[in-house]
Amino acid sequence: MNILLKSAKIIDAGNSNLHLKIRDIWIKNGKIEKISKKIVPNAQTKIVDNKNLHVSRGWLDTGVSFGEPGYEDRETIKNGLLTAAKSGFTDIILNPDTHPVPDSSSDIIFLKNAAKDSATTLYPLGALTVKSESVDLSELFDMQNSGAVGFYDYKKPVSNSNLLKIALQYAQNFDGLIFSYPLDKNIAGKGIVNEGPVSTKLGLKGMPAMAEELQIARDLFVLQYTGGKLHIPTISTANSVKLIADAKKKKLDVTCSVAIHNLVYTDDKLESFDSKYKVKPPLRGKADIKALISGLKTGVIDFITTDHRPMNIEYKELEFDNAFYGTLGLESAFGVLNKIFDTETAIALLIKGRKRFNITDIEIKEGANVSLTLFDPTYVSEFKKENITSSSKNSMFLDEELKGKVIGIVTKDALLIN
Amino acid sequence: MSELSVKHLLGIKYLNKSDIQLIFETADHFKEVINRSIKKVPSLRDITIANIFFENSTRTKLSFELAEKRLSADVINFSAGQSSVKKGETLIDTVNNILSMKVDMVVMRHPNPGAGIFLSKHVNAAIVNAGDGAHEHPTQALLDSYSIRERFGVVAGKNIVIVGDILHSRVALSNIFALKLQGANVKVCGPKTLMPKYIESLGVTVETDLRKALEWCDVANMLRVQNERMDISYFPTTREYAQQFGVNKALLNSLDKEITIMHPGPINRGVEITSDVADSDQSIILNQVENGVAIRMAVIYLLASKIK
Repeated sequence: MNILLKSAKIIDAGNSNLHLKIRDIWIKNGKIEKISKKIVPNAQTKIVDNKNLHVSRGWLDTGVSFGEPGYEDRETIKNGLLTAAKSGFTDIILNPDTHPVPDSSSDIIFLKNAAKDSATTLYPLGALTVKSESVDLSELFDMQNSGAVGFYDYKKPVSNSNLLKIALQYAQNFDGLIFSYPLDKNIAGKGIVNEGPVSTKLGLKGMPAMAEELQIARDLFVLQYTGGKLHIPTISTANSVKLIADAKKKKLDVTCSVAIHNLVYTDDKLESFDSKYKVKPPLRGKADIKALISGLKTGVIDFITTDHRPMNIEYKELEFDNAFYGTLGLESAFGVLNKIFDTETAIALLIKGRKRFNITDIEIKEGANVSLTLFDPTYVSEFKKENITSSSKNSMFLDEELKGKVIGIVTKDALLIN
Repeated sequence: MSELSVKHLLGIKYLNKSDIQLIFETADHFKEVINRSIKKVPSLRDITIANIFFENSTRTKLSFELAEKRLSADVINFSAGQSSVKKGETLIDTVNNILSMKVDMVVMRHPNPGAGIFLSKHVNAAIVNAGDGAHEHPTQALLDSYSIRERFGVVAGKNIVIVGDILHSRVALSNIFALKLQGANVKVCGPKTLMPKYIESLGVTVETDLRKALEWCDVANMLRVQNERMDISYFPTTREYAQQFGVNKALLNSLDKEITIMHPGPINRGVEITSDVADSDQSIILNQVENGVAIRMAVIYLLASKIK
């Protein structure tokens, strides 16, 4: 490996020496060899000199679904990771959204092995309970030793408060991170969309915002009692942001994430009954979006996620009630975030989370292991179906204008240029 | 000649005021037809209509079928119970298979909200929504408004209360849209558990006291309690429901004025309304049924003329 990034503008707010500077970056054998104003390449050097080349630390997505094993028709690990790489993500955390779910050490090893030849690194989450059935804890310690970075029953609430208590207590011995999906199942009932004027008008069953908030309030009560590390994935309401803010004031060890699409669209989109907008948690209202964006800016919400969930057309293009939840998110992530926030903020959000998930941190400095994302923040394009690498095409951002494009990634094993 | 602004009848909220006016005027004509000794006109001899019912229905299906036959259309019937839907076929495939047999129009009842809208985007036929989950039941709302118009001459300015299970009711929703569009005043009345929290965003007011609601209204549209749509119990017993939200003759007689009682059927006698109310002069329930055929003839006729 011998690569020269030519005249790259470095976006790295954590490093004042290089932030916003234009530099040549020479990468050799998986490490950043040299950063300088002008580096003269040798004959073997592969030169990357795209127009308007920008570079940041490699991006991380804290919650992606593929499908393998079990749902390979949605997405395989190999093609999923290629999609992630082309979308600028050097690292992704994989949801246990497979069949069967990974609830043992060997399942985790399978996932790691399936991912090992890809440019993007995969960090699996293990199922919190055996078969994600919310009854008995899985072998969390063993899974963590094999590479699981957290424990999650994908989009299933831990409805039994005592189970959550035990999980949070048990995982403390090995610093495990417990996920709790924020949904009170009884309050949500058969709701599939946000309860509000739109669901009323459309006759779609609504789930009140309270179903999410009640569960978060409970989680935080339990956490206060047990201690331990709690992560609440994909919050979606204004009151949830408040609850987390209060918990952080009390110094509880809680983090949370928000899905990018929940920052963009409101439930008004449902008027067409188009199932591409069917996601969980559902699209909410304007006030929620405002609170979520502000929560990200103030740090109350820790991480963004694409909540990427490939879904084949047979399960998506159905009557709204029968369609499966989920949207693609990886490929549109940067182009969407870069419209909501200024580029520096967008990048700051895209590189957050490694510490929380015990993933080795990365830096842009000479001698460091290389993990870089290359992008052009100003390029404007329309997101088209034919540009989608994912095996499934269920993106709610289709035909949207995106601002900025990913040029590629450089990781210690590979260079991938779109 | 005037025509509808839409190619399909998917819901009242996709219609405008002149559409409703046109449907009513056309229905006036067909109502006269169905009261002749020869109740049939040859208007749709070249049209084939499929009645596709994914949910049980007796009166709506009969009413549509009769309307289609009175217009001389060719009619085929299909219901989910006897179909490949149970074998896992998708809605689009089912309907496209039927359309391959050269069908021009589909009248569909379906348990999922928006199913008609979904279908209209994927198949090439005029779609009439005969009820889609808790979303809309547009022909019911049209015949309800038509019956009010018949009784009072106008709909505008009338006070209408819709009583009962608003939460699970496509009839309530379509009626609200239709009545508001025509300038009526609408209240909804029922237990809070069966009242959508955001129902007032549709421009109606909520009244939980039945007597107050009846004192206010010109017409009370009594909805059926839809036990089959309830996943949990929203009230303890039907007996207790009837005590609070059922209309009986004594209650009607105690009001200062004589109000009109409507019901979309089928009636749970003794729950929403007692028999002496259902069978009284104040009730126009059977007029609604008769008007249903005329309204459906009008809708089908007007949509078919857009196909041609």
